[in-house]
Amino acid sequence: MAAVQGSLVEEKDIKTEPSNDGGGNNNANDGRVLSTSPGSSASSGSNKSTTGAPEDQQTLLAVLQFLRKNNLTESVEILRREAGLPEDSLDPKGGDSSGAGSGSAAGGVDLEGVDASSLLSRVTVSSSAAAQAPNKVAEDQPDVNVVLSAYSQQGDPALYEVYYSGLKKFIESVLDCHRAELSQVFYPLFVHMYLELVYNNHENEAKAFFEKFSGDQECYYEDDLRVLSSLTKKEHMRGNETLLDFRTSKFVLRISRDSYQLLKRHLQERQNNQIWNIIQEHLYIDIFDGMPRSKSQIDAMSGSLAGEAKREANKAKVYYGLLKEPEIELPLDDEDEEAENEEGKPKKKKPKKDSMGSKSKKQDPNAPSQTRIPLPELKDSDKLDKIMYMKEATKRIRLGPDNLPSICFYTFLNAYQGLTAVDFTDDSSLIAGGFADSTVRVWSVTPKKLRRVKSAADLNLIDKESDDVLERIMDEKTASESKILYGHSGPVYGISFSPDRNYLLSSSEDGTIRLWSLQTFTCLVGYKGHNYPVWDTQFSPHGYYFISGGHDRVARLWATDHYQPLRMFSGHLADVTCTRFHPNSNYVVTGSSDRTIRLWDVLSGNCVRIFTGHKGPIHALAFSPNGKFLASGATDGRVLLWDIGHGLMFGELKGHTDTIYSLRFSRDGEILASGSMDNTVRLWDATKAFDDLETDDFTAATGHIHLQDNSQELLLGTYMSKSTPVIHLHFTRRNLLLAAGAYNP
Amino acid sequence: MSAPKTIPKDAQVMIQILKDMGITEYEPRVINQMLEFTYRYVTTIIEDAKIYATHAKKSNVDADDIKLAIQCRMDQSFTSPPPRDFLLEVARQKNQTPLPLIKPYTGPRLPPDRYCLTAPNYRLKSVQKKVSSSAGRISVPRLSVGAVSSRPSTPTLGTPSVQSVTTKVGTPVSLTGQRFTVQIPPPSQTVTTKTTTPSTPAVSNVLINPSLIGSKNILITTNMVSQNSGGESLKRKHEDDDDYDAL
Repeated sequence: MAAVQGSLVEEKDIKTEPSNDGGGNNNANDGRVLSTSPGSSASSGSNKSTTGAPEDQQTLLAVLQFLRKNNLTESVEILRREAGLPEDSLDPKGGDSSGAGSGSAAGGVDLEGVDASSLLSRVTVSSSAAAQAPNKVAEDQPDVNVVLSAYSQQGDPALYEVYYSGLKKFIESVLDCHRAELSQVFYPLFVHMYLELVYNNHENEAKAFFEKFSGDQECYYEDDLRVLSSLTKKEHMRGNETLLDFRTSKFVLRISRDSYQLLKRHLQERQNNQIWNIIQEHLYIDIFDGMPRSKSQIDAMSGSLAGEAKREANKAKVYYGLLKEPEIELPLDDEDEEAENEEGKPKKKKPKKDSMGSKSKKQDPNAPSQTRIPLPELKDSDKLDKIMYMKEATKRIRLGPDNLPSICFYTFLNAYQGLTAVDFTDDSSLIAGGFADSTVRVWSVTPKKLRRVKSAADLNLIDKESDDVLERIMDEKTASESKILYGHSGPVYGISFSPDRNYLLSSSEDGTIRLWSLQTFTCLVGYKGHNYPVWDTQFSPHGYYFISGGHDRVARLWATDHYQPLRMFSGHLADVTCTRFHPNSNYVVTGSSDRTIRLWDVLSGNCVRIFTGHKGPIHALAFSPNGKFLASGATDGRVLLWDIGHGLMFGELKGHTDTIYSLRFSRDGEILASGSMDNTVRLWDATKAFDDLETDDFTAATGHIHLQDNSQELLLGTYMSKSTPVIHLHFTRRNLLLAAGAYNP
Repeated sequence: MSAPKTIPKDAQVMIQILKDMGITEYEPRVINQMLEFTYRYVTTIIEDAKIYATHAKKSNVDADDIKLAIQCRMDQSFTSPPPRDFLLEVARQKNQTPLPLIKPYTGPRLPPDRYCLTAPNYRLKSVQKKVSSSAGRISVPRLSVGAVSSRPSTPTLGTPSVQSVTTKVGTPVSLTGQRFTVQIPPPSQTVTTKTTTPSTPAVSNVLINPSLIGSKNILITTNMVSQNSGGESLKRKHEDDDDYDAL
């Protein structure tokens, strides 16, 4: 201690007065500090002004004092020895707390990793605020005493409660037009202050703070607040990655310039600089010029764990167009021609028009080039599939408000195994169900039974040249209506058929994704990468690639022939609950428990769009067939419609009363079907919703949206099932709607 | 929820906890499951803490022991996903590599065989017949179970050649579980005049149906005597080695 004292003497002449008097006695030192702190910051202020010492020294001293206070003598020695270390807590933020803004915020964030210094950062930030609070000294450096005084006073909840109440009063007193915008500050401020109290081990004060102010927050933050209420100790925060991410990332607020000026002026002229510091450290305020937004506008866009999206986040160019269809020669099928002879002519024209249409438009400016990402070439069987597809497309029913689809519901009875995932093949011939008992079952929807390929020995015996070789390779003895696939060791949460019907993917709570062969009905590969439950997986519409999203907050892009992922999409604050490919396979959209939706570019792995607005974890995503629009459904029961090109929300469909687990657009994009836990399937008029889309310059520039409350007009029908939640929807190629769910009496 | 006449106090506490956490709808069995979990967790922690306390030569378990026990358990059972900066860094690195080009039609596009689950999960063992042991003995197929990584061989018909073969078996990473060895008696018991040494096994491997399966290694050895082994059996042996490498 004496040695330490001596060193302090060397470094700081003025400062040693209080520290010397304290001697080697920590308590005495503290006593001195405490005695000098309350009200006497004026004197320390004068001390500060007289020293004129560089801030570095001051903050270093603050650190030393802090370490000594906590009996970390060795650290004190080491720090003293290495004094002058440039990066260590020498940020200018220690001093200039008002107006510097980004510096302090950056400093605060940079030092997150280092516990002591991060604690110090908060300490110095708050201390400088505290110092200036009674001082009214605008921009001065913190004094060692002041630092410690603030730290010891940080236990005083009055500080936090007082500041928060002060801010509340201020915001309630501003003009109406600004109030809605400034109220956005409440929630992140509240959470960050509460977390700081918890992090600094002020449990009782944290609880009191929480009780007093949690009721004021918006209703849609209720779930978050409940999680927070159970978090009272620092240890509770340790394992909670979402909260840690929340602390280190910046909560984005979009406020108009006028409102922002008001807030800034108020905070800087009052003593409430603690709030100002927290705002600078943890909040990112995206300022725009223009009219302040109304409460309803703000409510529509807010709700996510990370605030809203910055405007720059949604400015990258997105190629949302579809890829050109490959040209396939259509063999003239005589049987079909004869059957529909009266419409023979127009029918013939239609399929040709597809190929001609793609020839005529040179390149859709919004479509990615064919070679942007490598895609597998078409095999002969794929070409046959495409021909079948086009033939079916000609027989497709055109849907509309006056021509609603019929809905065929596949109910899983006696699913005591716990049905957790369902998928249909594109041609609707097979259904697969993933269950909580870790099995995957595949059923044949058509009368054709499921058969396995013969064993190797038998395959040698068949005649390979015969025409029906594809039937001969099948083993008749294994024909059955359904097949059970065993292999996972946890509930199966995601299922996806490959477009060529050869493979089936399943993702499970055991952290693996399994690829099953539908020829042999056995497991081929287990993809390990997520070490935590994988909530969703999907094959790309072109096959070969697939994506998965799980509890580890990342989504991964895989290819079937690589045992490691090709891309990792990281950025969400909480679990990735839903992953979907864009129809052109160049983009992937992920919905998460942090209530945001992100669109990722497969080529670069960057996040090109962030959509906020849902008030609950997102469980359903669907792209419109033309690739321009995205529909999303969450636990809040709302379906939101997004324009991908502009990055805006343009529609909100209210009606469901419970979580929406499935969304699907009809084959031509005219109808949007949504299925939910409230046992209903609802049909919405998508063409009308898209027509109403207006994007003038102002909207595109600022991201303001005017949502029309026309959910009722867009709702075409509500169909109840008999206490069966709808967990999957699928439009057949002819626009018949299939729905699936497990009967839940 | 219809409550019986009296619910034990613990269950009442659990119901209250669930209510505080905002869970309002749950099956009645959930209470039991939660109580079981709580009991198991707490006893594990306390037992661990007791071990730590005795290690530190303390007579009583105190709070530090409990804290240590909780920490260790957290790192072991209740791990949390990696932190965000780590994920961002890994993602950045991974996303820098361009997407690999796709080779034209090459059959089913699957990863290299070692990463697939398509390999046969049994292997044929070459069995060395000793002159003395094989003479006139009736052998019965015996099933023996051994851990994959441990003992190199299981009791065979006294043929030591097995060791050389089975020691090659490293643990295939993906296949866990137990290894069964099945001894199939040779079709004919003839006495071989030459001394059998581990290096020249009399072996002939019969490849049984390579079908795809789960996680058990099945070693099937057949004792088939071949008089003209010598070089041929050596060759066979190399094949065995190749088979092992392919695993």
